[in-house]
Amino acid sequence: MNYLIKRFQRLLIVLGVVTLITFLLVNVLPGDVAYEIAGMDSSEEEVQEIREELGLNRPVLIRYVEWVTGIFTGDWGTSYISDEDVWEAITDRFPVSFELMILAQILALLLAIPAGMISAFRPNGRGDRIIGTIAFASVSMPSFMTAILLIYFFSLHLGWLPATGYEPLSEGLWQNLRPMILPALSLALVEWTILMRTLRVEMIAVLQENYIALARAKGMSNLRILLVHALRPSSFSMITLLGLQVARLLGGTIIIEQIFGIPGVGRLLIHAVYTRDFIVIQGCVTFFALAFVTANFLVDIAYAWLDPRVRTRGAHG
Amino acid sequence: MGEIILDVRNQRTAFATGRGMLQAVDGVSFTLERGKTLGVVGESGSGKSVLSRSIMRLLPGTSMTGPGSQILLNGKDLTAMTENQLRRMRGPEMAIVFQDPMTALNPTLSIGKQIMEVLMFHLKMSKRDARAKAVDLLKAVGLPQPDVRVDQYPHQLSGGMRQRVAIAIAIACEPDLLIADEPTTALDVTVQAEILDLLQRMVRERNMAMILITHDMGVVAGRCDDVAVMYAGKIVEKAPVRSLFSETRMPYTAALLSSIPRVTDPPHRKLDAIEGRPPDLINPPPGCPFAPRCRHAEDACNRAVPELTGTADHQWACIKPLNTEAAA
Amino acid sequence: MAELSQSSGKRAAATAPAQQDRHAAAIAMYRKRNKFGLFFWIPLVWLIIVAIAAIGAPFWGLPPADEIDWVYLQSPPVEGHPLGTDVLGRDLLSRIIWGARVSLTVGFAAPFIGVGAGMILGMIAGYYRGWADEVIGIAIDSWLAIPGLVVLLLFAVVFGGSLFMVCFSLGLLFIPTAARITRAATLNYAGREFVLAARAMGASDFRILTKEVLPNIIWPLIAFILIDIPIAIVIEGALSFLGLSVKAPTPSWGGIIAEGREHLSVSPHISMYPTIVMFLTVLSFNLVGDAIRRRLADVREGAI
Repeated sequence: MNYLIKRFQRLLIVLGVVTLITFLLVNVLPGDVAYEIAGMDSSEEEVQEIREELGLNRPVLIRYVEWVTGIFTGDWGTSYISDEDVWEAITDRFPVSFELMILAQILALLLAIPAGMISAFRPNGRGDRIIGTIAFASVSMPSFMTAILLIYFFSLHLGWLPATGYEPLSEGLWQNLRPMILPALSLALVEWTILMRTLRVEMIAVLQENYIALARAKGMSNLRILLVHALRPSSFSMITLLGLQVARLLGGTIIIEQIFGIPGVGRLLIHAVYTRDFIVIQGCVTFFALAFVTANFLVDIAYAWLDPRVRTRGAHG
Repeated sequence: MGEIILDVRNQRTAFATGRGMLQAVDGVSFTLERGKTLGVVGESGSGKSVLSRSIMRLLPGTSMTGPGSQILLNGKDLTAMTENQLRRMRGPEMAIVFQDPMTALNPTLSIGKQIMEVLMFHLKMSKRDARAKAVDLLKAVGLPQPDVRVDQYPHQLSGGMRQRVAIAIAIACEPDLLIADEPTTALDVTVQAEILDLLQRMVRERNMAMILITHDMGVVAGRCDDVAVMYAGKIVEKAPVRSLFSETRMPYTAALLSSIPRVTDPPHRKLDAIEGRPPDLINPPPGCPFAPRCRHAEDACNRAVPELTGTADHQWACIKPLNTEAAA
Repeated sequence: MAELSQSSGKRAAATAPAQQDRHAAAIAMYRKRNKFGLFFWIPLVWLIIVAIAAIGAPFWGLPPADEIDWVYLQSPPVEGHPLGTDVLGRDLLSRIIWGARVSLTVGFAAPFIGVGAGMILGMIAGYYRGWADEVIGIAIDSWLAIPGLVVLLLFAVVFGGSLFMVCFSLGLLFIPTAARITRAATLNYAGREFVLAARAMGASDFRILTKEVLPNIIWPLIAFILIDIPIAIVIEGALSFLGLSVKAPTPSWGGIIAEGREHLSVSPHISMYPTIVMFLTVLSFNLVGDAIRRRLADVREGAI
């Protein structure tokens, strides 16, 4: 319990540092948004006027404190460019990004768990080497490349799946999933290798354990040993990684959303970057950091489910 | 003579390592009858645990079994079996209890589940029957409140209780051969005797044969019929327990015996630890492997590996055995 | 006595060849997995070809990477343009080779910057503990809480796209993991006898860190750099794919792929050639790095 509180404190500090750094990076350096709004051939006075209007010429720290208190009260500011409320802009788009991430993680796990088990069963055996080679090829293929190849093959060549676009869930589940398959696959084809390797390493260690020898001595089949005896105690690192990978995946969704034209947070961020809409950038980064922190809390809870030692300790105090 | 359960013939087990071939078990032969207990004694690294895993056929991929090695369990050759055939033997015909009960039970499964799966796989029991039988087994091994314990996880049990659970798993399918690989080494002294008594009782009640592996001569004393002393992968002396103690032939056995503390010893007496270390099993010395540490060694000992000699009952591998006319 | 040792010596000599063969076979079986095989040499050759091509880019008599050939616009491979041209009629082979310069520079510079900085931070945290450890820990956690690509986007916006800034900001991404590895290793070694002994003899902290701790922790970090090289190339590719790496018209692999994306149905070769080259290069770095890493582990294991 104490541990959780300590971690929570640490995460609060982390959030504070993240917001501060983001804010400083965006606000202290030259090339501010006033120029952007005023346009190319505006006079210095016009720019000053806009600064005045937006409150950009007050001390940085005061603006930071205002902005952070705003975050707690749900006021994340308003886009300088589109006049959209930042919080609404993010929460409108987040479900789309979230769906993409979850689909990608599910696909990645579906690939990683069987592959990791086959590899770990006979390290350096034939199966392990084949899977290792595929994994190497797969990880050498960044998601934007995979995306291009998948679009070329499945959309342009075979015409099975759409190359771009997004349909809301209200149009029906299949309508919604169909354009998500290629984007999710593009992400999953990179992510699965990391999960697979982590599972493999840990499972190789677990398979050396005495209780696995005992399961063998009990005459249990290899499949049963892998699935029932070894998988659970081997998945701790993989679960931790699922949490850490949220950060990676959030980064990955940015580029994938851009390629496939999916209206998620990533696309919002890229658009804000191209237009130098700093308040939206700040908001997005803060939101990503929040998502990361939350994901890692969920990982802690998943531990409790995986390991009865943690579970019962919690139950009995 | 009783029914022969286990017949090990010239078992040789080696491991490939980065430095060369490590001959962990080097030509071990013995037989074991129903209802009897064989004690296997030796220091750590003497090959006794590898021997137990060789019999169970639970060796890692880097291991090699020598040609001409045979292990007959109830007349069937384990070394010639496929993995599938072996699986059907493990549980109903042979079972093992490991040294460390802290690591031998799966931390993520309830102990009930770990017993039930043996029953459901080998005896094709239904889930409900298996659970009832699991509770019975836990009661039989003396676990208090078996109907509560059955749903608990290993970490909720003490070391002694876990070893009882491990024994319950081992005897679940009434095996003919039970191997206990240092079953008490990791336990508190106070529980050691209880666990050994439990094992002995189970063997007697179910008329099994048992191999009791230990490094502690004191453990085998009252509980075994025969004792085999292992050193550097070989059996160096084998005898009924009484004659081993009264007519020790092999100096190594003598050294092991004198390292047991006795109640009659004056307090703070220094125990006779055996000096030196066991030989390198990758490049073993040409002569008797114990010669470099032996007080009685002569030049002749370094020349050739001594063969097992003696009577059918009492055998030893020493060219200058103790307590004989030759030595006197 | 002399006679005896001689006779046993003869015996040993007689059995030696058989023994030796057996051991050699066992060692070979054990080591087999860590030999440098084809999966090491073929990728290495490819990397050398790419490196030579990139370094000597001005000397191959290729058309300049930004020269527009009005005769061949968006053309498949023809004479004079072995890999064809892009939408603006620029020679693809030349662009890919010039793009390799960016990828390789970033691929080597960024991990060195990142692992170097991470090593210093990690050693400080692991050796001094206390508040320094706490502050560095918080900084690393914060750094990890922002997705890498977002950090790079921020930097790209704020500092603009020079090659140096791309290397620098990419290098920042490698700091946290390098620092964590170093910290753990330093903690491990800082308590060992030889470090305590050095301290007892009055060695300065700097001397202890560089002479006693560093040699022991350097190997995992070198292995880590090997992993990071292909990652850096991939991230730079992503960044230039988004148009946020080095500024146009400097060619880069990700940029060429992005340019060809619009014309995938008509002229797939524009995206496909740089994709293939980049894939092979990243794969080769991964394979070579992995082989070296295994070898390192093996050598160190053998040394103990």
